[in-house]
Amino acid sequence: MLQHIVPASGLLFTLENILWINIGVFIGSVFAAIPGLSVILCVILFLPVTYSMTAIPGMMFLLGIYCAGGYGGSVSAILINTPGTPHAAATMLDGHPLSEQGRTKAALKIALYASTFGGIFSALMLLFLGPQVAKVAAQLGTAEYFMVCVFGLTIIAGVSGKSMIKGLISACLGLLISCVGSDPMTSYDRFTFGIPRLYLGLDLAICLIGLFALVEILAKAEKKPGSLNLDARKIKDDGVITKDEYKRLVRPTIISSIIGVMVGIIPGTGASEASWFSYNTAKNMSKHREEFGHGSVEGIAAAESANNAVTGATLIPLLTLGIPGDGTVAIMLSALMINGLNPGLSLFTTQGDIMYAIMLGLILVNLFMLLQGKFLTSLFAKVVSIPQEILTPIIVIFCFAGAFSVNENYFDVGVALIFGILAWVLRKLELPPVPILLGLVLGSMTETNFRRALLISNGSPGIFFSSAYCIIFLILIIAAVGTIVRGKVLERRAAAKKED
Amino acid sequence: MKKRVLSLGLVLALLTAALAGCAGKQNASWKVTCPWAPSGVAAMVSQQAATKSTSYSDTITLVAEAIKGDAATVNTWVADTKANDTQLVFVGEGLLSITSILDPDKLQFGYEDFVFVENLYSSIFVLSADAKLNISSIADLEEYVKQGDEISVAVNGAVGSEAFLAASLFGAMGAGSQLKLTPYQSAAEAAQAVARGETQFAVSHQSQILETYQQGGVTVVCAFDEKAIENGPFAGVEGVGSKGYPYFRNRCFIMARAGTDEKKVAELKELYGKILADKEVADWLHDTMLLEVDTMSVADVEAHIDNVKSIVNQYKDIVAG
Repeated sequence: MLQHIVPASGLLFTLENILWINIGVFIGSVFAAIPGLSVILCVILFLPVTYSMTAIPGMMFLLGIYCAGGYGGSVSAILINTPGTPHAAATMLDGHPLSEQGRTKAALKIALYASTFGGIFSALMLLFLGPQVAKVAAQLGTAEYFMVCVFGLTIIAGVSGKSMIKGLISACLGLLISCVGSDPMTSYDRFTFGIPRLYLGLDLAICLIGLFALVEILAKAEKKPGSLNLDARKIKDDGVITKDEYKRLVRPTIISSIIGVMVGIIPGTGASEASWFSYNTAKNMSKHREEFGHGSVEGIAAAESANNAVTGATLIPLLTLGIPGDGTVAIMLSALMINGLNPGLSLFTTQGDIMYAIMLGLILVNLFMLLQGKFLTSLFAKVVSIPQEILTPIIVIFCFAGAFSVNENYFDVGVALIFGILAWVLRKLELPPVPILLGLVLGSMTETNFRRALLISNGSPGIFFSSAYCIIFLILIIAAVGTIVRGKVLERRAAAKKED
Repeated sequence: MKKRVLSLGLVLALLTAALAGCAGKQNASWKVTCPWAPSGVAAMVSQQAATKSTSYSDTITLVAEAIKGDAATVNTWVADTKANDTQLVFVGEGLLSITSILDPDKLQFGYEDFVFVENLYSSIFVLSADAKLNISSIADLEEYVKQGDEISVAVNGAVGSEAFLAASLFGAMGAGSQLKLTPYQSAAEAAQAVARGETQFAVSHQSQILETYQQGGVTVVCAFDEKAIENGPFAGVEGVGSKGYPYFRNRCFIMARAGTDEKKVAELKELYGKILADKEVADWLHDTMLLEVDTMSVADVEAHIDNVKSIVNQYKDIVAG
């Protein structure tokens, strides 16, 4: 490795590369901050730009978009309670409440610092442990994937709010909606009602716009205009994060970065799963659990460090095994292949300098994201002071434009609107929307891996206990369920004591 | 003052837009929609062709776009376009020969809605086997099949080209009842599944199994073509056609809307021909993507569609139950 570092640095530190990194970071931050305009869409849009470039500047540009997109999604989650990208949904749970407390800048800064830490951590993992980690990840099969999904579903308990039953109802609704489209195992249509646009299922980004953005607009429409604007005199948003808060951020940031890397190296999973796993873990480990959902600094740091730690980790299977870790990275694969580079371990021997330049470049991308983010935070923070009668129509336009842009058709705008109305009805029934999102994220993956595992084992459930990895995940699931039950028992006892 | 500056800015913007519009009349942009994943083989080849288009034509610029959606995307394309629109779309044997038989209600179009422009490449699928099975030729495979055990094959999608190639090969060997197709979400996943031992075999593009093969996780048994593969890392791998088994190559045709001016179609075909004759493009297709440049005539296209249809009709019971 060391013999490649010096020549790789020479290839990387050019004015052209630094320029493209910064352009990518800026585009990614802004694009991901707009609900509906996902990182993957941004990478698809700008991919043709890289075809006239050589491999390193092309990859630096795309990595800039990818990493900054991880952070950018948190901006709208914090400012307007609408995640710019699906993986920023967990950030929203505490980011927006903290912003409502008049600490918008602080929330944005925590998201930025945690994102940068997670990004650099995963870049270092890629640089030093990439091939070894990839070999372990390649051993995870269908049964292990299913166990990961089940573990993910235990998070529902943590995001259900006051009533576990209502949380489960919402989650079931999410799982049901995830069944819409062609059956992944047989290709038969389910719940499509003969509508061709439903064959592929419902796009997560579109559902998100309805579930979190449009429902907020509908809720605002019910209130008196005067009550919506924040009283600027009461807010002293200096963006200060106290020493005590910094101390509290350390543990969730480190643990979540590790979780982000672990999730990211498993192909097919992604930043959404990582941020939820981490958020839940941080909540369970925190001494201030009661703050989660009400503006916890730990919650923001956990979600953001995890979803950016995924960025480097998804490159591990791509660069070492040629397997893209997620959809966005799959598109980056074409930027390499168009330059005649077919990713895999053999490329580390034949084109080692280029590969190490790309890996070192990821660290640089995160540093520039921090620099740009520090400048942009002040600008973004001003959004909350825009009067609601101006801001709300702008958000509505962005929501509909975002929904339209996903597949360039009006059908998706209608779907977003339907989800908005559905979420509004659910809000009236006090059913939480986050478990629906979890059901949507994990539903298809859980079902596909469950059915495929049973197909492989000819129907024997023994496959779910057949490897050491399965057993490890099983222990984690039991521990998670145990923690949930214990928490509920303690809550009841505490409530009973209060009544006495 | 501010209002004057704003008005001036607006006038300048409108003027620029108008001038850009006039300039556009000289050079027509043809949007080429690929209805599969942006990271897929067809999308990458289309992007490469689009990048080269300005080097070979002053009048046509190709603009590549990938909108994942298969039948849904092509349905929308057909509904939104009419003859002589400057729009092209990729359509492969998956829609024209497989979906049209298995699930015709999904298609709101037929072959007659298109006019063929060009086929850019053909891909020879290969059958790989778990290295532990020690199967590296068709003879080895025939011996293995004779044992009568279950045969599990990882494929990309439940009813795609790969599934039908597996069904036709093992069906023709008389082992259709032993075959268990295991669908994965992508070709890369299917290739990994066989290396992990989840399935015994996998069908994939050559480029998708290359890394796993180089690491020794799999052996490559045969190619779904008439003769042995001639070049590249899999040179010498036997073609199933040489032993009398059915096969087809994977092809994706670029189509214009039916009724489009024949001259325009000929111009486009000529442009694609020039791009494919570019040594850089041909080398990239061959060396990196492990594909072959494969320009075709309308008769070739119809023969390909019919060949795949006959295979689908013969083996659909194995694939779709």
